[in-house]
Order: sequence, then structure tokens, then C-alpha cells
Amino acid sequence: MSAIAKPLFTPSREEEAEDPKEHLMHDPMPRGEMNSMVLDSMHSTTWKYWTLTGVLAFIVVTCLFAAWYYLIMQGLGVAGVNRPVYWGIFLVEVVFWIGISHAGTFISAILRVLKVESRRPFTRAAELMTTFGLVQAGISVFLHMGRVWLSYWLVPYPNERGLWPDFHSPLMWDFMAINTYLLCSTMYLFLPLIPDLAMARDRSTGWRKTFYKILAIGFRGTEGEWKNLKTAMNIFAFAIIPVMFSVHTIVSWDFAMATRPGWSSSVFGPYFVIGALQSGMAAVAIVLFMIRSTMKNMKYFLRPEHFETLGMLMFLVSLAWAYFYFNDYLVPWYGGDMWDKILNTFIQTGPLWYLWYGMLFCNLAPLVILWNKKWRRIPWLLAILGFVINVGMWLERYVIIPETLTINRMPFTWRIYVPHIEIVLTIGNFALFFLLYLLASRMIPLIPVWEVQEGQESHMLRKIGKAKISTVSDID
Amino acid sequence: MSDSTMLLAVFEEIEPAVNGIEKLRELGVSDEQMNVISGVPIKEAILGRPSALSYVSRIAMTGAFLGMLFGIFLIYGTPFLFPLHVGGQPIYPVPQGLIITFEMTMLGLMGFAFLGMLVDSGFPSYTPKEYIPEISDGKIAILFRCPDGQQKKLVDALKKIGAESVNPAEARQL
Repeated sequence: MSAIAKPLFTPSREEEAEDPKEHLMHDPMPRGEMNSMVLDSMHSTTWKYWTLTGVLAFIVVTCLFAAWYYLIMQGLGVAGVNRPVYWGIFLVEVVFWIGISHAGTFISAILRVLKVESRRPFTRAAELMTTFGLVQAGISVFLHMGRVWLSYWLVPYPNERGLWPDFHSPLMWDFMAINTYLLCSTMYLFLPLIPDLAMARDRSTGWRKTFYKILAIGFRGTEGEWKNLKTAMNIFAFAIIPVMFSVHTIVSWDFAMATRPGWSSSVFGPYFVIGALQSGMAAVAIVLFMIRSTMKNMKYFLRPEHFETLGMLMFLVSLAWAYFYFNDYLVPWYGGDMWDKILNTFIQTGPLWYLWYGMLFCNLAPLVILWNKKWRRIPWLLAILGFVINVGMWLERYVIIPETLTINRMPFTWRIYVPHIEIVLTIGNFALFFLLYLLASRMIPLIPVWEVQEGQESHMLRKIGKAKISTVSDID
Repeated sequence: MSDSTMLLAVFEEIEPAVNGIEKLRELGVSDEQMNVISGVPIKEAILGRPSALSYVSRIAMTGAFLGMLFGIFLIYGTPFLFPLHVGGQPIYPVPQGLIITFEMTMLGLMGFAFLGMLVDSGFPSYTPKEYIPEISDGKIAILFRCPDGQQKKLVDALKKIGAESVNPAEARQL
């Protein structure tokens, strides 16, 4: 009797047809050409670009600056915050934008440390989000303060009576952590940008030449300069990761340190960090899709494989978020504390029930799509999922802050928060983020060309049997 | 009076550039007298060059230490200057102290790493330098000091092993 060998599976036509050239690392171009493509994408601006810039600038001026001026002149009474909900949308925005800012560090630092090669073309786009996200968070804090001209009181120096800020307060920890993160992430954005600024300097004329010359700080690419740059980048990549974790943990302690129902939770730290990564990853998907579809030559650098990597990360982070949310929900529910029970009932069945269900839907529904490799590779689909997740994460912060503040241990103070001018300011805040990004996209190279070239040089295809296998040499 | 000239040899690929370094060494140009300029970082092991010395890590560690001291001052020194009792908490708490100390240590570490990179590399610098823009387009250049009288010999040798051009290095505005 003879045995007939049968294949375990029949490869699909798609698998058979997979072309190594689909991968950016296996589709190298001469460096000069890549430089031209990136600079060309920065210099080509259509009427659509200027129209959008104009519209966003108009929204920023009216919805942010004019509305803020009105808020300052009239006082916080024109906002919806009042007893017992003193923390409204402004604080929702703070947490939301700090969350968005986590993506840059995560993608750039963690993936750099772990040597995930597909990170190379989109690290800068994500790092830029970190810096601009923190700017938005800072503005939201100032909006929330009302008397913004007194914000310098947070700066650590003594007043005329020799009294220092109270460093035992979670709000002071927040100030120190966010500023540390803002400063460090801005430096971390700048470091790998220097060689690309030098490249832009070498290929520009007129005012752009002067601009890049100043920013490139005299970089040539000597051995010593590269050594120092790489050493500093390595230090940043390792050191900024714990700072990133600390920032959102400390943000969570702004809530968790208060002994009130819904907030006092020991799991809030990691739960907030995961939530931040969830919204940050999703925002990167949106931004990458917009860059890819609106900027010239970007389809070469940002390919379905990069969206797939991002989609995988989004999938994992979504699962982790679900786990932490369940943990945070289950323990108080099982504990049966009266106030927690009342709060949960209010959130799930009260007049704002749809926010809670909306949050769950927006954060969990994308899992159904993200598990599928084929779907993860579709840029527009990932961008839509990114949008849905961010809506969900915004709602989550709304449920955690103003909704939770509604219910406290003094029922006679209960009052549902209704935002007023906050809505206009939020629109202005979002518009400012997109405006800054839009302007930056024409001023700095969004693709780290030298990192892409470095990656392409370290990749090669090796033939094993009938297959061509991608191999990476450790030349980084 | 100088008894040597700075030359800039430009190569298209890494391999001939590595051979060029080897050749220069054979012809009496020491490692200290040459520098490789490239648009991407190339490991010393690939170039067969001694490791460049960098003080960035040491400067960063100094920054971390100073940052830690500043953090300790903020959390323990300032209440000493003006004791403020809040919510029955101790004036000098350890767990809370760790938070500010950690943040300041990391700020010191990264801030000084950044400054160290600038200082050790001599940035910012806007004076004329030996450089050609083609380097950022992927070319690899060897900048080396050529002893007087040997220029022709070195130029010929480098061109023979694949140098695109070997010219006297002119300092120019970047």
C-alpha cells in the first residue's frame, strides 16, 4: 500500500502572487530620488490645500481665539461647568489630547527599541502628533483655568511670601510630568529630523534655504555627528518610554487619588495608559491615511504593509483596553458599594445612557474588522476605524469625567452637566490641531528619508528552496 | 605654513569607500587624519574605522544626576523652606517624592543628552565647512589630510578603486 502525500493546504492565488516589491524595504530607490519625492510633496500645494488651510484658520480664529477671549471677558460662567461638575469638556480634552500624544512615543520609541522595521516611514508623522497633541492639551488646561493669566503660579518658584507650589498635589505632578513629556518629545522629534533638514537645506533655495540652514544647525553627517546623534536617539528611545507611561498614569491619578465613586481605583493607571495608546494608534491611522491620499508621492512610502502593522497594534491595544475596562468595571460592581452602584446605574440607564453604549460600541466593534489581515491593509478602512475608536475614546473620557462627577455622596447637589461655550472651543481646538499639522506637512519632511534608506540597505531577499525570504542585517 | 592639503574623495557605494579608507591607510594617511561623511549612519565596523568617541552618554548621566537632585530639592527642600501641612499628610513623604524625583531625573537625562549631542558635535555651527550637497543624496565622502607632494599619488590610487572624484576640499557655506 502506498501513501499519497497531500498538501496540508493549498496556497491561495493571492499568497502565491505576493511580490517582495510590495514591501518598501525591498523596493529601494536611489536616495536622491527619494529626497526629491519628499521635497516635491512638501512644495506642491494646490488650491484645495490653501482653501482648507484658510477654512481651518478661520475656525481657529473664531471658534478658539475669539471664543476664548469671550470666555476670559465673561468668566467661566458662560461655560457649563457648575456644582457638582467643575471638570467638564475642557478636562475631557486634556485627557483626550494627552492620549493622542502617546502614539508618537509608542510608535517611534518602542518600535525603535524593538527594531520593528516597518516603523521607519511613519515615525515622524506620529512624533509630530505627540508634540501637537500636547500643545492642544496645554491649551485645554488654560481654557479650563479661566483666569489663564495666573497660570504662572504653577511654575516651581516661590511667591513673594516664600511659599512654593505644593508638590504633594497630583495636579502639580501633572504639571511636571506633562512639561517633561512635552520638552522631551519635542527634542525627540527634532533629533532624527536634523539629517532630513540638512537634506532639505542642500536642495532648497531662497527663504527655504535660510529656514532649513538654521534648523539643520550645521549638520554634515560626519562620523562623530552620526555617533552623537545615534547615541542621543538611543537614550531618548529608552528613556522616553517610562516617561510616556508615567504621564498618563499621573493624569489618571488626578482622578484616582480622589476618594469618590467611580474614580478611586488602583487600576486607573494602566487603564489610562492603554486608553491613551488606543486613541493614539487610531489617530495615527487617520493621519497616515490623510497624508497618503492628499500628499504627492506618499503612496511609495506609506503602503498597505504599514497600515497592517498599525492595524495589528490597534487590534492588540483594543483587546487590552477591553480587558482593563472590564477589570475596572467588574471590581466596583462586585464590591456592591452603594454609591458605585448608583453611579453605574446612572451611567447605563440614566438620561445619558447612549454615551456609555456608544463608548462600548466604538471601542469594541472595530475588533471585528481588525482581526482580518486583508481588511487591516485597506488604508481608508483603517482610517474609518481610527475615527470610530477616537469617538469611543472621547466618549469614554466624557463618561469618566463630567458624568461621574454628576453622582456624588451628596444627592442634593446632583446636576447634569450641559456644555455651552465648550462645544465651540472644542471645535476650535480640533481645527488648530489639523491646521498645525497641515502647515507642518509643508515645512518639515514628514518621511524620515535617511531612516528609510538605512532600512532598505539592511534588508535583502534570500532564496531558501523555492521561496524568497526577507532577511534583515543588523547594521542599525 | 601648512604642509598638507585637505582632500575630499567622493564614492557612490560603500564598498569602494571602504577600499578607499584601506588604501589611504596603506599610503600613510592615519585614521585620525580622515573622516567619513555620509547621508546615512554607517557603523564603524563596516567602514573598518576605530569607534568615534562620544561624550553624550556621560553628559546625559550627569544631567540625570542633577535632575534627580533638583527633584529631591523640590519635594523635600521646598517644604523645609516653607512647611505646609495638607490633609494630615507628612511634610516629607517618600512615595510622592518619587514621582517628582523621577520626572526631574528623566528630564535631566534627556535634556542633557540633547545638549550633549549639540555640544559634542559643535552644533549649532554656521561657519563654512568642507562638504558637498551630493552627500545627502547618498554619496559617501572621505575627507582626509594629504601630505604635501603625495596628492597625485593618492588621487590616482583612489580613482583607481572607484572614487567618483577626488578634489581639494573647499570650506563652503552649507
